[in-house]
Amino acid sequence: MRGKIVVAAVLVMGFLGSLKAAGGAAETKSEGKPLYRVEGNKVDPDTLAGWKTWRALACERCHGARQEGMVGPSLIESLKVLTKEQFKETLLNGRPERGMPGFANSQTVTENIDNLYAYLKGRSDGKIPPGRLEELK
Amino acid sequence: MRAKFKWPLALMALAAPGLAVANAELAKLQKDPKQWVMPAGNFYNWRYSELKQINKDNVKNLRVAWTFSTGVLRGHEGGPLVIGDTLYLHTPFPNKVFAISLDDYSIKWKYEPKQDPSVIPVMCCDTVNRGLAYAEGKIFLQQADTTLVALDAKTGKVIWKAVNGNPKIGETNTNAPHVFKDKVFTGISGGEFGVRGFMAAYDINTGKLVWKCYSTGPDDEMCFDPDKTMTWTNGKMAPVGKDSSLKTWQGDQWKIGGGTTWGWYSYDPELNLMYYGSGNPSTWNPSQRPGDNKWSMTIFARDVDTGKAKWVYQMTPHDEWDYDGVNEMILADITVKGKKRKALVHFDRNGFAYTLDRVTGELLVAEKYDPKVNWATHVDMKTGRPQVVAKYATSKHTSPDRGPDINVKGICPAALGSKDQQPAAFNPKNGLFYVPTNHVCMDYEPFKVEYVAGQPYVGATLSMYPAPDSHGGMGNFIIWDADKGKIVASKPEKFSVWSGALVTAGDVAFYGTLDGYIKAVDTKDLKELWKFKTPSGIIGNITTWEYKGKQYIGVLSGIGGWAGIGLAAGLEKDTDGLGAVGGYKELARYTDLGGVLTVFSLP
Repeated sequence: MRGKIVVAAVLVMGFLGSLKAAGGAAETKSEGKPLYRVEGNKVDPDTLAGWKTWRALACERCHGARQEGMVGPSLIESLKVLTKEQFKETLLNGRPERGMPGFANSQTVTENIDNLYAYLKGRSDGKIPPGRLEELK
Repeated sequence: MRAKFKWPLALMALAAPGLAVANAELAKLQKDPKQWVMPAGNFYNWRYSELKQINKDNVKNLRVAWTFSTGVLRGHEGGPLVIGDTLYLHTPFPNKVFAISLDDYSIKWKYEPKQDPSVIPVMCCDTVNRGLAYAEGKIFLQQADTTLVALDAKTGKVIWKAVNGNPKIGETNTNAPHVFKDKVFTGISGGEFGVRGFMAAYDINTGKLVWKCYSTGPDDEMCFDPDKTMTWTNGKMAPVGKDSSLKTWQGDQWKIGGGTTWGWYSYDPELNLMYYGSGNPSTWNPSQRPGDNKWSMTIFARDVDTGKAKWVYQMTPHDEWDYDGVNEMILADITVKGKKRKALVHFDRNGFAYTLDRVTGELLVAEKYDPKVNWATHVDMKTGRPQVVAKYATSKHTSPDRGPDINVKGICPAALGSKDQQPAAFNPKNGLFYVPTNHVCMDYEPFKVEYVAGQPYVGATLSMYPAPDSHGGMGNFIIWDADKGKIVASKPEKFSVWSGALVTAGDVAFYGTLDGYIKAVDTKDLKELWKFKTPSGIIGNITTWEYKGKQYIGVLSGIGGWAGIGLAAGLEKDTDGLGAVGGYKELARYTDLGGVLTVFSLP
């Protein structure tokens, strides 16, 4: 339903290369591919791995199942402000004074940090729905 | 007809001649109804008071005598202690302690520990603390960061500190410490971080570790004697045998196997045994841990001096629903099936109320204390095992069509149990139990997780909601007959009853509600006699004491904990707070954060 429009946007993006379009989904991976692909509750395999990382580390304990904040801040809002580098830095080193642990010693996180970023960016952009996701074949 | 309590309330055991009780002071003080010297009022976890100035006829006249703000948000569990002319009060993280004068309500002293805030994300289900312990002029505080502290009750000065665990590997504390004899007992939290549960005893005078016994692992580390530690086996007690825990785990999973110990503990001085329960096995994805996962979900009876396990009983083998077994063990001498018994009564998270012989560990009664409980048909009285309904299994080891990423719907009770830690009360006047309960069901979807020290090791997504096809509410306050295994009376509540109950000789039972009311009901039929809206939701326990001829009732309000985590943490979506929010969304209409002690008396 909703997801279809996003895909259209993403396709357009493919044509326009690295031109920044409005709406956030414009962010790309390094090789010029879109950051994430989404149709309904189906996402590309990398983004799915990002969601699984989110789930495995029980991030919802502080940020809420819908990333809208709890004892920790809303990631929907944070990801509108943080650069990818800032995001990675925060995730790996934590913010101990604010109660955010560092995840540098989690292999799941280090291997999937770009995937997790893609997933959360998609949530922040309002393109990826909350809750369970499946693989977009 | 019903089990009658046959002897006077004075703790006969303590009065028995020739019985050496190291901490005679505490044994004596708990017999004085004017004071409230331990979390449940006595060693037996009764939450009962002989005071009767406030009774069922005049309770309607209760009014606020004084109030005190803790200055802390988040969930306020537990309740104050009252020793002589001083009330001692704790708070959630940062775990402040106040000594308050009962004469002029001034703060005699205040203690605020410095704790590393990085402990906060390592705490499961809000930053609660369930209260203090007292003995021989010392107040004991169990901090969140696992530091156990003895304070001078007169000055608040630190006498000693002991480090009970390591937050870096997920170990934290939320439980109240308990003093039995010359030792202070504390457990550990962190079942959601793969913490291996244990019970530890420290010397009250020095803080030196006396013994430490684990819930899982090799026999010696659990303080088990394979030939002498007994368990209910085919209708009788038999030795647990060698490696009773190791045999029920794959490889060395027991090292990160949970079985934490964050509940309330009790003690029988005559038997020299202390009793407590262990929590869920880690992870919440049962397919990852084949076997019974012993001794998670277990009632332990241990020798107070050595920690040696006399008997054990596992309630939920191979847990698939997070039904921690940590709820309090109430020690009551009642008639069960026509025979006088030194009983232990326990309302488990799994929805069954158990009556055991606390001397031998024999299973006597196990019945549902909420008719909606559906994950098991019954407990087989010969094996002691619950008979799991395949439809509600979440583990592939129980049902081949189940496992990771399969959402199982309509399981009752929810993970927070038919009752969580909120303690019940025993009424020695009629031999019955007064139980605050949850009436909540869940959908449970496990998924595969890997263990990393100090990081969450949960592995399930939950949604919770009020029990379907019922009164629409999420709780009941009930009277339970532990001999018959039957509900005598039940009072429906809109929200879970997440507050510890109190019964008094004035024939009144008290409890608090999540939307912030303290209520008084008739012990005979639960008829509501009085209620008062406190400043926030109540997840604390009701306490009573007498000072200068007046009886007081005290309650901490301050929404939070698992039930209120949606509020405590500013959530409002269905599977947040480990899934505990869905059914509690509406709470936000009634209450907000903030800790306040409200104290009532008659005019």
